[in-house]
Amino acid sequence: MTATTYEPTRQRSPHFFDSLFASLGIFGLALRRNRAGMVGFIGLMIYAVWVLIGPYLVPFDDQVRLDQIASPPGSRLVMITRVEDVSRYTSLDDLNGQTVGVLDRSGGETMVEPYEDSGALEVETERFSSGRGVPALLDQLAEGDVDAVVLFSDAAKRYLTPSSSGENDYPGLVVSNAELGRPYILGTDTQGRDILSHIVHGGTTLITTALVAGLMSTLIAVVLGAMAALVGGMVDTIVTAIANLVLTIPSFPLLIVLAALIQLNNPLMLALLIALLSWPVLMRAIRSQVLSLRERDYVEAAFALDLGLRHIILREILPNMMSFVAINFIFAVTRAMYDQVGLIFLGMVPINDYTWGVMLYFGRSRGTLFSPDSASMVLSPVIAIALFQVSMVLFARSLEEMFDPRLRTAK
Amino acid sequence: MATHTPTAPALEAAPVPSFHLLDYLRRFYANYTVRTIFKALVTIWAVITFTFFLIRLMPGNPVEVYVDFLMNQQNMTYDEAYSRAASQFRFDPDASPVTQYVEYMGHLLQGDLGESITSSGTRVIDQIARFLPWTIFSVGLGLLISFTLGATLGTIMAYKRNTFIDHTLSLISSILSAVPNYIWGLMILIIFGVQLRWFNVGELRGTYSPTMTPGFTLEFLGDVLKHAMLPVLVYVTGSIGGWMLNMRNSTIGTLGEDYVGVARARGLTSSRILLAYVGRNASLPMFTLLAINIGFIIGGSVIIEELFVYKGIGSFLYWSISQRDYTSMQGVFLIITISVVVSNLMADLLYSRLDPRVRVSGEK
Amino acid sequence: MIGAVKPTIVENTMKNDVILQVQDLSIVYQTPRGDVMATTDVSFDLRKGETMALIGESGSGKTTLSLSFIRMLPNSARVTKGKILYSRDGVTRDILEMSDNEIRRFRWSDCAMVFQGAQNAFNPVLRVRQQFADTAAAHGKTDKAWIKQRTLELFKLVRLDPERVYEAYPHEMSGGMRQRSLLALGVLLDPQIVILDEPTTALDILTQRAIIDVLKEMQQRLNFSIIFISHDLALAAEMASRVATVYAGEIVEEGSVEDIFYRHRHPYTLGLIRSVPRLSRQQDELMSIPGEPPNLITPPSGCKFHPRCMFASDKCKVDPPPLVEYEPGHRAACWHTDKVAAARIAFAAQD
Repeated sequence: MTATTYEPTRQRSPHFFDSLFASLGIFGLALRRNRAGMVGFIGLMIYAVWVLIGPYLVPFDDQVRLDQIASPPGSRLVMITRVEDVSRYTSLDDLNGQTVGVLDRSGGETMVEPYEDSGALEVETERFSSGRGVPALLDQLAEGDVDAVVLFSDAAKRYLTPSSSGENDYPGLVVSNAELGRPYILGTDTQGRDILSHIVHGGTTLITTALVAGLMSTLIAVVLGAMAALVGGMVDTIVTAIANLVLTIPSFPLLIVLAALIQLNNPLMLALLIALLSWPVLMRAIRSQVLSLRERDYVEAAFALDLGLRHIILREILPNMMSFVAINFIFAVTRAMYDQVGLIFLGMVPINDYTWGVMLYFGRSRGTLFSPDSASMVLSPVIAIALFQVSMVLFARSLEEMFDPRLRTAK
Repeated sequence: MATHTPTAPALEAAPVPSFHLLDYLRRFYANYTVRTIFKALVTIWAVITFTFFLIRLMPGNPVEVYVDFLMNQQNMTYDEAYSRAASQFRFDPDASPVTQYVEYMGHLLQGDLGESITSSGTRVIDQIARFLPWTIFSVGLGLLISFTLGATLGTIMAYKRNTFIDHTLSLISSILSAVPNYIWGLMILIIFGVQLRWFNVGELRGTYSPTMTPGFTLEFLGDVLKHAMLPVLVYVTGSIGGWMLNMRNSTIGTLGEDYVGVARARGLTSSRILLAYVGRNASLPMFTLLAINIGFIIGGSVIIEELFVYKGIGSFLYWSISQRDYTSMQGVFLIITISVVVSNLMADLLYSRLDPRVRVSGEK
Repeated sequence: MIGAVKPTIVENTMKNDVILQVQDLSIVYQTPRGDVMATTDVSFDLRKGETMALIGESGSGKTTLSLSFIRMLPNSARVTKGKILYSRDGVTRDILEMSDNEIRRFRWSDCAMVFQGAQNAFNPVLRVRQQFADTAAAHGKTDKAWIKQRTLELFKLVRLDPERVYEAYPHEMSGGMRQRSLLALGVLLDPQIVILDEPTTALDILTQRAIIDVLKEMQQRLNFSIIFISHDLALAAEMASRVATVYAGEIVEEGSVEDIFYRHRHPYTLGLIRSVPRLSRQQDELMSIPGEPPNLITPPSGCKFHPRCMFASDKCKVDPPPLVEYEPGHRAACWHTDKVAAARIAFAAQD
């Protein structure tokens, strides 16, 4: 019962921390009753871990491997040999002194490099120069020019699986080791880089910037809103007029216009810009909330006692609006995420970091969007962003339900 | 919280005959419609002024950038470049900033937004006239669908409050409203267009098929709808969740109002109560939200149109920015903002038609 | 017996001037903490043209009772027992057995209810005139000229300026005007019964007075019956011809106004009456009933009033007292009516 009869609008003047801890306790209780809120909360925790610890667990992969372009999720490297050699060559060590075919379209670095760690592998590599290299490579293997071929599992499957007519192009070849190296859980991008590592690393800057923007926007809104409501008069008129003006100007077009004029190199600058365009909605809500709170007896009493504006805001009004501000902070963060990723997606912001937004930008600008094979490269960041936003909103909505008695499910 | 004083302003205000101009103006201004239109005009003026300062006076403003560009690329002298920029931006380089501002306003009043930088001889206003209707069409259609559908679903959720249907729809609407609309666009494009091939992405580009001749034929109309399908779908997906949740909460509040109970006691049919008593009152707060939403969706159309290669004003803005066509950019930004102000004005006037209280007190 | 030959009659035990007969009505609210017995075995008759007042503390079940007459109980409520027989033009029906459409038509045209806090009783976005027309249309009356004439006539009856109110929106009227319009709306379809649930609580004393006068005049002209719910005893005494005291969902005493106010036989009625301040009495002699209304999930055994009763004996804790008729039309449910009568006389002597 404690949770459902909780009233956020106490009539006495609570100490700031009292009410904070009380809210936290009740919040925990109430969350257990709200399944959607719980999902959102767990989601956010996962993102927090992801952003804070993930980068230490998964190394950032910036190595361009042109032979592994846009491979689907779950791909690995495999070794292909002639059927008669299938038991002779099963691991990389067995290839010592043999000729190994490796697809290498970069013309520079070879595939072999990663395996050098696992043993002193000395192989002679043959170089091929185009995407048509796979059949050529397999032909060489079939003809005995090379002893084994290390290939990407997807490509191997495409050539070694019998087609619908039952014919196999290379009946004499077989996969002898299906597990060379670690699997690419989310596949690779158009440059053969591990998408998973980009997903793990690509959230940090975005989330931080969104949080900072949300924080700034909330701060501006709270300060201006409280000021307009408490001081009133000309201040109120001017602040409200500015808020209405900013609210009218569509913020995203203004952002891209500004991004075209100013170099938005600094994420902090970007956050500030987003905040400057997104405060009015919350500010107007805060203003009307404070105006209505002002009518309450205990705030009026504080005014009558001439306790000072700072005291009234910090001790009387803010504690009563904590939940409200917190909810709107979350919405401000999701809004900042929208603007930020939108800007990056359109390529309006210089690329400093390899973020989820940049993955989308490359997805669009390199045409991967329309290639059925490279879905993972775009879908992965899409899902990462979508789930982040969903977690935030579910969490905020459940907070809203918990603190708004009108919405609370009465049983 | 709209509390209404029990006094009766409209009936008890005795008309005092007066012939003073100021009084007359004051009473004229007290009229809701007049006041709303006046406010919209002031907003438009403020936006124009803001754009003027942004384009002309800000450090690193487009005129300077363009002058630099002309000097570097075409080996013009500063003066040549400056006068070329002045003529394309439509300002008098020798005049004071104040005169420039007044002239700028004058040009705007005549609908002269200057000349495109990249394709000289093309007036920006003509370009806008070419692209804007498509955005108004697709955004308007999307809003209309999402508003009606969202309000209907929200009402159903409120009537079925705390049932399985309510919980499911609440979750769905939260998810729909949480994910940015361009993310929905990407998902639809990749999953249904590229992977499942339910539609041909290439064919749906543009506002209508190049083989079509524009005209009021059924065939052309169908083609236009087909091309608008994806942007509209994304506008609906991205905004319907908000309408659903807001309508649900608003309806739950309205269902608890005394007049709904009294209407039941009066033996009114449930359909009459649903439409004239619950629906009409519950949808009132939605019109305030409509104003905010219009701006947001028009703003977001830049990404959506670019994503689906839909030739509306949003993709034109993106094009002019990427081409560094600053006069077009300035004009498009101004027009986008003015269309948001005008849509807000229309939403406000519609609101006042639906809520008689606004016409008197002017409060929302 | 006029109605005895009608085939639609449920079970005709009704005297010819009784229009509403409540028989053993029990209503339960289902809550997660258990069933709340909102009313238990309530029976009473309402005659044509009379005003019956239900008095009692908040939460005693008065409003539940009145809502059940027009079947507007909340979803969590269940009628577990009893009948509500309604008679018009010699035809008697059980309200609880009516179909949804029948009950919809029954509402307002047979039994109108003016709610507590009628300040928001009107839809703010429709003109008052439209809401009158709405009501008429819902009951098959679509003749515009008739509706307009009737509406204007009723506005006159409730002493409102018909021309001004007719086109007005609810927010353009004062609280008193709205209340009067609602009364006018209440009798629009010439109902037999008008239920008034605290009709004047939100109004100032002068407006209250005006409303009461209007009500009395209307009743005289249109001859409807009133069920009057109030905890304002003075108002009840003025309006009603008969009074029923409701305690914990039961009628504990019922009789004429004189019976209840001057010859009451139930200690709860005594307590209610003694708790009203009077000019003729010293302030400190004001009596209040000790304790709180009982928890209706697990009501007290025996007489539900015994924990708060000054006359309670061991018998009261075990046996619920039956409602016994002491004088014609005066019933009370108490084992110690004689003690109550003695106390009443003693108090009267003090005053």
